[in-house]
Amino acid sequence: MGIMLRRLLLNMQRAVAAPSRNPRLAVVIGRLLATAFLVCFGTGLYSHFLQEPLPWMHFPTQPSNLYQYTQGIHITAGIACFPLLFGKLYTVFPNLFETPPITGIGSLLARASIAVFVGASLVEITIGLLNTFQFYPWPFGFREVHFALSFVIIGSLAIHIAVKLPIIARYWRKRDGYRPEVSFDADEQSALDAPLIDVPRPVLGTPLEPVASKVASQASGLTGRVFAWIDGTPRPQPRTSRRTFLATVGASVAAVVLLTAGQSFAVLKPFNVFAPREKGIGPNQVPVNRTAMAAQVTDTAMDAAWALRITNGTTTVAFTRAELLAMPQTTVNLPIACVEGWSQMATWSGVRLHDLVGRVAPDGAALRITSLEKEGGYRVTQMGSEYVSDLSTLVALTLNGETLDIDHGYPARMIAPGRPGVLQTKWLDHVEVM
Amino acid sequence: MREVDDVGDIRRFRLARAILIGVGVLGLLLGAIELVMKQTPIQIVGVAVWMLGAIILHDAILSPLVLGISVLARRAGHRVSKGVLAIMQGAVVVGSIMTLLVVPEVYAKTLGPNPTVLTFDYAQRLGVMWLVIAALTALTCILYTRRAAKNRLQRQ
Repeated sequence: MGIMLRRLLLNMQRAVAAPSRNPRLAVVIGRLLATAFLVCFGTGLYSHFLQEPLPWMHFPTQPSNLYQYTQGIHITAGIACFPLLFGKLYTVFPNLFETPPITGIGSLLARASIAVFVGASLVEITIGLLNTFQFYPWPFGFREVHFALSFVIIGSLAIHIAVKLPIIARYWRKRDGYRPEVSFDADEQSALDAPLIDVPRPVLGTPLEPVASKVASQASGLTGRVFAWIDGTPRPQPRTSRRTFLATVGASVAAVVLLTAGQSFAVLKPFNVFAPREKGIGPNQVPVNRTAMAAQVTDTAMDAAWALRITNGTTTVAFTRAELLAMPQTTVNLPIACVEGWSQMATWSGVRLHDLVGRVAPDGAALRITSLEKEGGYRVTQMGSEYVSDLSTLVALTLNGETLDIDHGYPARMIAPGRPGVLQTKWLDHVEVM
Repeated sequence: MREVDDVGDIRRFRLARAILIGVGVLGLLLGAIELVMKQTPIQIVGVAVWMLGAIILHDAILSPLVLGISVLARRAGHRVSKGVLAIMQGAVVVGSIMTLLVVPEVYAKTLGPNPTVLTFDYAQRLGVMWLVIAALTALTCILYTRRAAKNRLQRQ
């Protein structure tokens, strides 16, 4: 049984061998994929801590489009990971049939870490992609699992690099060449050539020619016939195969980036064919992430008695929309940049948050901001003092020259430089100094 | 002298490996702690099932499919030029990866109530994309065949 299994695995390895499945190309694609993973990890951590800062953290408010770029890069690099990961898995596929599969505790751990690495990577980029169009067909929390798996991926990537370090060092440079994709030692070759046990003995007195008997034994049984059929196909030419492989991976990366990144980067807008988002559409010419209907604010936001309350301890001041409009108005150009990667530059006008908070607190205050939303993870958020002090942070009342649409946060919303869209609180209700 | 270098190399290798494995174990631990703290056991089982499903989908379904197609394509190589075959295979791979990314959008568009998410007609665009890929592939194959023929003539 063991011999049969070994033989099957060796046959599988031989069947899937191809010139583009070699260590050098695994290293080439691996470097690109690792870079993409690290870019995603870095930009992802930045986005995470913007939303859940540790107490000592302060963030740059300028350039005001910083988050637009970091998150645009996060999503675009994540999408580029699909062809890169498929390419990487393609180059190492014969390793799946390595025999013996496990040689000891070290190889068991190495294999387990690869399984975790591959599984986590595939799940991470898939749920990330589906999140960009708000599609959640899984039984777990997106944000929590996307965050946790990023550490699992970086951890198993480090272990993978440690295990493969000799191969990576050996094939880092092109001049060190390409190892034959799969090579069998004498022992493995003899296992492959050995006749199958279930081959009927040749009839006595009619000895078969040795070569013919070998072919007969190889081709017996269904698997034998499949492998013989595969072996009978013409071998691909190594150089053409490698070039085709790299060109295909390159073309795939170019295609997925070019045809989707227009949702994040204005310069690629004309090529936006498949992104879930489109710049310049929606009420006030800005796309919407959470509608007033979804946030259940269609009544409260239109209430004539609405007033924005600003509290510091026992002091509370309140402003109706008319009172806010009567105050000195400031106009700023700031992007709305979503965690889902899309972004949109827009012109906002309203009252400086700094001036409003100044009515109840000295400079340097951090805030707790509450929305009229009935529920949701971002109903109550916090704002660091750096954003309050920045003079471009507004309680916005108009958007692109028009009254703020209810889907964009009427009667008043927050807009601050360099923050994720989910923290640009819409349908403002209450601002408290912390 | 060379032996000393080798010993130095081995030491550096060992150090690099130790650091990488340390970072790796730390990452795995942090990820596991985060999962256990923020998700219920049922949700964690869900994550494990999705990871296992992804591996099975790739290793047991997609990869054998790709292998089968590439073997079939190589069989066809008796009659079709290898370069043309390579161009066609590349085009199919690019188109398939795009399709894999766009099909979920086609489905999700039927669910969403938000009019500014998934704004395009993705199924139609996917169809047009395959037509464009077919046209570009045909053009590339023609150019390639002409150039190959010219090169052959020049060599003769």
